[in-house]
Amino acid sequence: MAPRGAGIGVVTRPGPQRPTALPGRRQAAPAVVLVVAVTGSGLAAVVATSLGLMPLVGRPRLTTDGYTAGSADLLLAVRESLVIATASTVLAAGLGLLVAGVLLGLRPGRGPLRLVAVAVVAVPHVVGAASVGLLLSGAGLLPRLLGISPGDWPELVGGSWPVATVVELAWKESAFVALVVVAATARRHRALTETAAVLGAGPWHRWTRVFVPTAVPALAAASLIVFVYSVGTYEVPWLLGRAHPEPLPVMAYRLFGSIDLAARPAAAAAATTGALVAVLAAVLALVAAPAMRRRAGAVE
Amino acid sequence: MSAVDGGARRRRTGRPAVHALDVAVLAWLVVPVLPLLVWGAASRWSAPAVLPQDWGWDGWRSAYDGGLVPALARSTVLGLAVAAVATPLGAMAGRALGWRELRHPAPVALVLLAPVVLPPFSVAMGLDVLLLRTGLPGPVAVVLLLVVLALPYTSYTMRAAYAGIDPELEEQARTLGATPRQARRRATLPAVRLGLLTAAGLAFLVGWSDYVVTLLVGGGRLVTAPVLVGATAAGSGNEAAVAALSISSVLPLVLALVAGAALQRRREERA
Repeated sequence: MAPRGAGIGVVTRPGPQRPTALPGRRQAAPAVVLVVAVTGSGLAAVVATSLGLMPLVGRPRLTTDGYTAGSADLLLAVRESLVIATASTVLAAGLGLLVAGVLLGLRPGRGPLRLVAVAVVAVPHVVGAASVGLLLSGAGLLPRLLGISPGDWPELVGGSWPVATVVELAWKESAFVALVVVAATARRHRALTETAAVLGAGPWHRWTRVFVPTAVPALAAASLIVFVYSVGTYEVPWLLGRAHPEPLPVMAYRLFGSIDLAARPAAAAAATTGALVAVLAAVLALVAAPAMRRRAGAVE
Repeated sequence: MSAVDGGARRRRTGRPAVHALDVAVLAWLVVPVLPLLVWGAASRWSAPAVLPQDWGWDGWRSAYDGGLVPALARSTVLGLAVAAVATPLGAMAGRALGWRELRHPAPVALVLLAPVVLPPFSVAMGLDVLLLRTGLPGPVAVVLLLVVLALPYTSYTMRAAYAGIDPELEEQARTLGATPRQARRRATLPAVRLGLLTAAGLAFLVGWSDYVVTLLVGGGRLVTAPVLVGATAAGSGNEAAVAALSISSVLPLVLALVAGAALQRRREERA
């Protein structure tokens, strides 16, 4: 029996037309399938649980109780998450830009600073949170260094504002932002700033008119990642925040571990809401991106 | 402003204002970990003393007793497992994207970015719900989810690596008589070695430093170094042990970074 497809063998005879044996689709498939399968099944299970369709015991019943029964707390958690994420992102972006500027202007022999930034990115957030707690709490290092007694020190850890949480996120993520900005601008930075200097721009104008505008696309992308990370982070507000109000991940995990089985839909509702907030932020950013890129392109 | 401008004229790259900025940036990056470094060598350090009353290694002893070594071993295994799966998958996808071998690259690029956007705790909670029903072992689910979280880093690193080399390279190897497999192994993979190393390092980092996925999926039975840090830091009066655990889970990474930087410098000097 002739092999299948023998009739068109003339057309498909292997030749030098393509450098690969496998088409790209098959190369990308395992990664894409895994991402879709794992995130898809995980999210589907969370949404189904939040709607009462996957109860631990008893019969599935479609209900929005998970969202409505504790809607006041859920809204407070959304607000707390947004406050933390917005403050962390603004600080991380601003400070990250500053760190990037210093890294790009480094003279030879200052390479270690870049290594320090990479090390900060590599520190696990739970370690960062533990350390920031030991720095900013009433008995922490900072009040000791400043000679302020624990009683007079503001409640930065576990107080009414998520100060320590925001400091930890801003600290680690500013190093991340800086490395992204450096990676994106390093190649053109020297030529652009030198040209600007030749044209008579002082350091201030070289920063504001050349470095910052060229850094904006990378800065925006990195800021989006910081924002969605801050919405999703559990360990930092769990260690450094107060019990009430709590951000979405802390609320979700607390309810999920509750002995009250009825709390599971509410936990899943908080998790679903967290995912919605993050996706919404990403969609908004993607919609705003073309306009931002156009404005950045105008500088060059 | 005038001081900055005056300094700039004196020497183009040696502005005095920037020295202060260098110091401020270094302080911002380093000060948050200072408490850990001091606590790591303190046995008693009650407020408001600026320096410990008793120096010593008590924290290390209690960290050891609390299971530091097995936790580090578990973190290492977890990091290696994540890297072992996420690196080849990311390399394959990165090759398809970097060499423009896809008719519709946008959906693939978007799917591979999705894990960065979705909060890990949401997906992890769903997987934990599914574990009860499917009987999938917890550690397997932890690795699977962490691989997914690592894939954006590995695939985009490898996309950049493949975009930097010419697909012709593999074609030439084929012309010289290599099989497709030989061409990939002997020509292409060595050319993207640095990308592979970076991708594997990033994937290892995802597994090594994860907290919430390890905790949520499988009910926290997998006690890795970060899980131990979190559990210890949540208690009170064990600052020295927290410091010892934290230093142990960061030091290997810092040493690897320094070694990597030194290697790169040697490579650049040779080039």
